[in-house]
Amino acid sequence: MADPPARPPVALPPLAPGWTEHKAPSGHAYYYNKETKSSTYVRPVANPQPSFFAASAPPAHGTHPTLGADANLDLFNPVAAIYSAQRNQQQQRSQYRDPRQRQWTHVAPPQQQPFRGGMGGGRGGFSGSRRQPEDRPKHRHDIPNCAPWVLVKTKLGRRFVWNRDTNESFWKFPADVMKGVVEFDRVERERRERRERSEASDEGEDDTMADIEADLAATEENIEQAIVEVDGEEGMGDESEYEEVEVTDDEGEDAGQPSKRQRTEEPTEDQPMEMGEDDMAWQLAQLEDMEADFGEEDEEEGLPLTEEDCKALFKELLDDLGINPYTPWEKTLDSGTLYEDERYKALPNMKARKECFNEWARDKIQFLKEQKAKMPRPDPKVEYLSLLSRLATPNLYWPEFRRKFKKEPEMKDAKLSDKEKEKLYRDHIKRLGMKPSELKSDLSALLKAQPLAALNRDSTLDTLPPSVSGDLRFISLPGATRDALVETYISTLPPAPEGAAKSAEEEAEVAKRRAERERREWALAERERRVREEKRKQEREMAYGKGRLRDNEEELHRALRVGKDGLRAQLDE
Amino acid sequence: MPPIRTSRGSKKPPPEGFEDIEDTLLEFANKMKDAENASHDGKKKYEMVWPVFQITHQRSRYIYELYYEKEAIGKPLYDWLLKNGYADAMLIAKWKKQGYEKLCCLRCIQTKETNFRSTCICRVPKEQLKENQDIQCVSCGCRGCASGD
Repeated sequence: MADPPARPPVALPPLAPGWTEHKAPSGHAYYYNKETKSSTYVRPVANPQPSFFAASAPPAHGTHPTLGADANLDLFNPVAAIYSAQRNQQQQRSQYRDPRQRQWTHVAPPQQQPFRGGMGGGRGGFSGSRRQPEDRPKHRHDIPNCAPWVLVKTKLGRRFVWNRDTNESFWKFPADVMKGVVEFDRVERERRERRERSEASDEGEDDTMADIEADLAATEENIEQAIVEVDGEEGMGDESEYEEVEVTDDEGEDAGQPSKRQRTEEPTEDQPMEMGEDDMAWQLAQLEDMEADFGEEDEEEGLPLTEEDCKALFKELLDDLGINPYTPWEKTLDSGTLYEDERYKALPNMKARKECFNEWARDKIQFLKEQKAKMPRPDPKVEYLSLLSRLATPNLYWPEFRRKFKKEPEMKDAKLSDKEKEKLYRDHIKRLGMKPSELKSDLSALLKAQPLAALNRDSTLDTLPPSVSGDLRFISLPGATRDALVETYISTLPPAPEGAAKSAEEEAEVAKRRAERERREWALAERERRVREEKRKQEREMAYGKGRLRDNEEELHRALRVGKDGLRAQLDE
Repeated sequence: MPPIRTSRGSKKPPPEGFEDIEDTLLEFANKMKDAENASHDGKKKYEMVWPVFQITHQRSRYIYELYYEKEAIGKPLYDWLLKNGYADAMLIAKWKKQGYEKLCCLRCIQTKETNFRSTCICRVPKEQLKENQDIQCVSCGCRGCASGD
């Protein structure tokens, strides 16, 4: 689906000698005479010119008028000339459209709009109200992963990128932006495809298959095009340097909405920056206006968020923040961490949030309970015994010991009753007086009594079963000798019997849940984005309205101030 | 002489699950202490006890919800909490009755203490009040606790 190279314009009358044809940034053809240094929109026809290609020789560098100069042309061009130029150009444009696009004949050629004011208003004199049908920005899209760069589609379907921060714009996409644009196109197409499919779900299966195939092909071609795009460009009077302007061509469009975009075989200037800064401002104002008018078309997409999704999002937020399910709702709110997350707004009101929180807390607590039931209950004896092994000495009686260490958490622990604590203490003190050999044999007896499932080669000193570490015989020996003994014993043990690994089903379950979650989050982000866009659009609309009012006023002033300069200029010529 | 054992100072250790809610209860206790020690400058006499009522209500509600709605604590712990004064058993008993689901305090339904044998203004449903009538009851500072609201 590579785009065919531009057709040479069909049989326009040849130019008079000395005249060269150029394209204004707005897409108009104009003619420049190097000798007389004059330019005009009216085609200077030479009566007996042989070759018409001679007229379209590449223009000399450095003589391109900016839009400002373009505006000056208006001064001496009679109004009729403008119209003729316009007609001329529309003709041309329809010729330049490639055949594939020509079949959409219902695509209206850009029409002359009634004067729309703008911020810039840089048009001189009385011609202000007679604007040419110029190219102007129409849609603006954010490019994914290229934050400040914005892709702008013009009315004529050309595209350029604009850096929001530095206010630069290029017809030719910089390399990094190019990637983003390709990505953007892909996403666009997928979305359109999805929408189409939902619209025409009653159509045959093979239709959609064909669509997909076509899209796949389109993608490939787009990438190719993005890399190399050189069009043969005879007869157009420009270097094909800017053909990368059309990075992609959305084929998917033909089924859904008719494309307003056309191939831009119209030449552009060979400076990367085609428009002046003030013009940029004006164009962007226009863009805002246009977006207000046309933006609604592609607003309806985005995944729908069902109520369950919203709830799930909110619950995930609670999960992520690690909120204790035992805290009351009011306290959770007061802590203020909830508000900062986008997902907080997934639910419409406080009542719903509270309900959701209660539901979540209930489930979470049940879950925690189950987990706790599954976990082996920690033996309070283990910690108490480790305290004893650290602190107990034969010099202290139990009441003294208890008084001295009553602040220790192990001593305060209510699960082990005082009677038991006392008994353990007394026994431990008694055993401290025994002979080491006896203690050693006791310890080895204890270790041997353990089943292989509890104590095996994989266990370490930190992961001894509570039946070992919660036994008095374990702590009677001093730490160093005990550890060495235990380690040597463990190294003689065979490895543990086969444990049950995590089943594949469980893993699949986990993966599914994760995918669900990603989908929901994406949908929420999408919704946020749409809301933001809406807001921005409204603001822009307002700003534009103001600018327009101001412009109108200015124009009135200008009209009042009109003198005889224009007439004189005509006479002087 | 044997030590006097009160139900309040029960020596029994808390049952299973108390660690989970301990922090929240401690917070309530701190709040209560603050409310008790707050200065009463410029407050009306009856206003001073409002925060105490409110915190009691919140704490009772917390335990009530944990036990009856979220089923997060077991019967032994619930009984232990009631016995140790963490929640007001009488108030909870009222919450279980239809029409008293949101009752703010027991004083507000004590008809014997009012001149006309009526309940407190906070028990009146919002639709029966006049437009924009802002109320706050004397006994606990409640702004309305009718079930229909």
